[in-house]
Amino acid sequence: MISRGAGLRHHPLRALVTRPALRHVQTKAVTDGDIARFASQPLHPLTLADLCKHGRPPLSEESLLHSANFTLSILPSRLAHRIQSLRNLPYIVVANPNVNKIHGNYVHSLSTIMPYAEKRIETLEDEVKFTDAVAELVQTHSNTIAVLAKGFLEARKYISAKQVTDFLDEHLRARIGTRLIAEQHIALHVSSQPHKEANKNDSQYHAPDGSTYIGVVDTALKAASLIRTCENTVGEICELKYGVRPTVKIIGQPETTIAHVPMHIEYVLTELLKNSFRATIEAGMEREPVEVTIAPSASETQAAAALNTATESAKPGKVSKKLAAVSNRDQGFVDLSAGPNDTNSNIRPLAQSTPGVTIRIRDRGGGISPDVYDKLWNYGFTTFNEDEIQEKVSGGGQGVMALDVISGGAGGGSSLAGLGYGLPLGRAYAEYFGGGIAVQSLWGWGTDVYLSLRGVGKI
Amino acid sequence: MATTQLARPARSTRSLYKHILRLPPSARVLAYSSVATTRNHDTTTFPPPWRPSHVLDEWVMRDARPISLRQLGFFGRTLTDERLISAANYVRLELPTRIAHRLRDFQTLPYSALTNEHIGYVYELYYSAFERVRKVPEIRDLESNERFCSVLDHILNEHLPVIPRLAMGVLEIKDVVGADECDRFMTMLLRSRISRRLIAQQHLALTERFNAPRQPTKASSSTTDDDYVGHILLKCNAKDIIERCAESSKQLVEKAYGPDVSIPKVVVQGHLDTTFPYILSHIEYIIGELLRNSIQAVVEQRGGPNPPPIEVLICEAAQHVIIRVSDQGGGVSQDILPYLWSFTKGPRRDRRLQNLGQVPKLAATMHELQMSPALSDQQQHHAEKHGSSLSSFVSRPPNLRLGMGLPMAKIYAEYWAGSLELHSLEGYGCDAFLQISRLGNKNEVLTTRASMDAI
Repeated sequence: MISRGAGLRHHPLRALVTRPALRHVQTKAVTDGDIARFASQPLHPLTLADLCKHGRPPLSEESLLHSANFTLSILPSRLAHRIQSLRNLPYIVVANPNVNKIHGNYVHSLSTIMPYAEKRIETLEDEVKFTDAVAELVQTHSNTIAVLAKGFLEARKYISAKQVTDFLDEHLRARIGTRLIAEQHIALHVSSQPHKEANKNDSQYHAPDGSTYIGVVDTALKAASLIRTCENTVGEICELKYGVRPTVKIIGQPETTIAHVPMHIEYVLTELLKNSFRATIEAGMEREPVEVTIAPSASETQAAAALNTATESAKPGKVSKKLAAVSNRDQGFVDLSAGPNDTNSNIRPLAQSTPGVTIRIRDRGGGISPDVYDKLWNYGFTTFNEDEIQEKVSGGGQGVMALDVISGGAGGGSSLAGLGYGLPLGRAYAEYFGGGIAVQSLWGWGTDVYLSLRGVGKI
Repeated sequence: MATTQLARPARSTRSLYKHILRLPPSARVLAYSSVATTRNHDTTTFPPPWRPSHVLDEWVMRDARPISLRQLGFFGRTLTDERLISAANYVRLELPTRIAHRLRDFQTLPYSALTNEHIGYVYELYYSAFERVRKVPEIRDLESNERFCSVLDHILNEHLPVIPRLAMGVLEIKDVVGADECDRFMTMLLRSRISRRLIAQQHLALTERFNAPRQPTKASSSTTDDDYVGHILLKCNAKDIIERCAESSKQLVEKAYGPDVSIPKVVVQGHLDTTFPYILSHIEYIIGELLRNSIQAVVEQRGGPNPPPIEVLICEAAQHVIIRVSDQGGGVSQDILPYLWSFTKGPRRDRRLQNLGQVPKLAATMHELQMSPALSDQQQHHAEKHGSSLSSFVSRPPNLRLGMGLPMAKIYAEYWAGSLELHSLEGYGCDAFLQISRLGNKNEVLTTRASMDAI
């Protein structure tokens, strides 16, 4: 998902997307046997440490190849698992043109990765071609959620809300991981020395100021600034739509920083603030600021320091084959999947007491009514009546726009009423590295939302 | 129906049991417990005496009839002879039914669990109570009701030390039975205990009111007899209760930490006029525990002048009242957080066990207890009578950490289909959310053997 958020003007993907080479990615035909073979490989549990273990950019050639091979080792099986999950849905659902398109996308992506699969990448030229394929993958799948949403809506008669929720819970979590590893490799690739010299056209890409980034991970992400950014974005939409603009009051410890993926947190915060602002306005309480409390866990600063020392001394070694197998459903839960890591890496798996930050968003928007509360974590499926659904399905200009808004993430479009994917998707992002979202409604007063996030494990 | 009998123990113990069983029920428990506790490791284990099980089987087959606050209140509002007698018979049949279900729970625990002295003690206590009440004949007049009431009163007082005993027993047997199973067992027992004491105390209160001539209401008291139906206060004023509990928690903490400690203020916001019908001692216990936890956390983590206040929000909706207690006491640390609601798990088990050993002494001296001076005479009268076992917990010194406040408060909250949840912002503070049904029309939450066996 390419987020159009404010902090990411220098997204490395932009640089690659404009390259003409992208249109001619090599493919290899995918057979059912291939899919079965890749799907039988265990899923690698992803941790933030995995993303950072290749070292800080700019990477040496050796580290870059290491990163490429690591990415190569896990992509095919992840794609194959997704294809199988889709194929397990009822025939009539997968036959829907939208769902079918997504299925086709996955098969196509697997075909572009297959030429490199089950071999090692040894040269820089191969690495460049491989990274092109990965970039094309990211590009192709950027609107998956919107298209899937539309497809499921159209096929709602043939599949129950629970089946959709279960499928999407698993699928979206898997998607987060796959995109993350792909985008991380691309970011590391683009910011590394060997390529900067070769491609003079890439002068538009500048590494973000300061050296806190490792690819897409910001090791010193300041929660308070992200909150202010999202406050502005959502505030502008409100002004456009309602004419008033609620504010945010930050208390607790605003100086807190955490090592995490800014894109993800920005999405979650935007969704949560959207909900709070809209409720606040509709309850007529826009003068009451939304209160955001930032609470760091005790040893948070220790962890950031540990991460700095770890990446400097990380040596590229063989990609560990001893991967703890993890089921589809659990892959998004790091505690379960924290298994033995590469012995050369200095970063140990996440411990139970991984430090992080808890953000509490408290509004006076009147709360969530009990009947809506039960459906909070459904993918917007059951909260609409037939007319509203018809409107969205018929794909009237407005409807499609709204769908794009959701997949576009923060800052896209001007509508606030999406398809109800914000909360469940936000929770998937929060939970991906061991955090979570809890919602407490005080019906008649307001809502309290607790967003907990974990950073990289300490040494 | 085949009668299954527990295995017969050795000869010497058999004669001892015979002796115990011959004693009147009121003396049985003491006799058993004195024998059980004087055993040493050389003698064989000494579980409670066996009895033929067909009697219990009969009662276990009956279903408990749960009741709602509203029904209780409505029933007790206008009392006549017939109503009182019919209430007495309801209690007469409900009590043994509910105890029987729990006795069967005890009996299905592993044998070695019953050899634990605390578990054995409580089991004996329950069995004696069962025997006594089930033998009461049908009540037909006010005189027999009086006799029945004195039996109830005696049992209520006798069972005061049950909670700490159970808690200790459960902590000791958790390796044999499994921590999860122990938690479930404890929860079921406590729920049932609340229900039995409730209907017993309610009946005693109604009888007393029926007998006593109407008191002229004192000008100074804020609540009158009319506001109470037995132990149900029809209009618990949320703000009032919170402020009173804050005051008594404050005094307790001052006693423990010295008069120089700065206690955080408790600020009440939201819908300040909210009232709802509830059992006063229950709601005071829950809110008292939450406030005490918050105040202690703030005093211990943020010691020093000007501690951040504790904010309590009252939110009234059509069907519920939600009370949110927010403190800045540093939150719950990660090593305890997963075990917050458990009676048996967590890293502080051993200390809990030690502290619990000191509580039975408190329960025994209940009558000399100092009640909070903030309560009016009226309210004190209602709370103190008929053995309110909660007051010994409410007024225990704060350094006596029992580790049970939250799980117990949760059981009380859930009793009338409410809920209690806690969110911790580690390093900052905690938010507790208590939700209470406002209309009093939810039935008690009971667990009967039928509902358990159906799973």
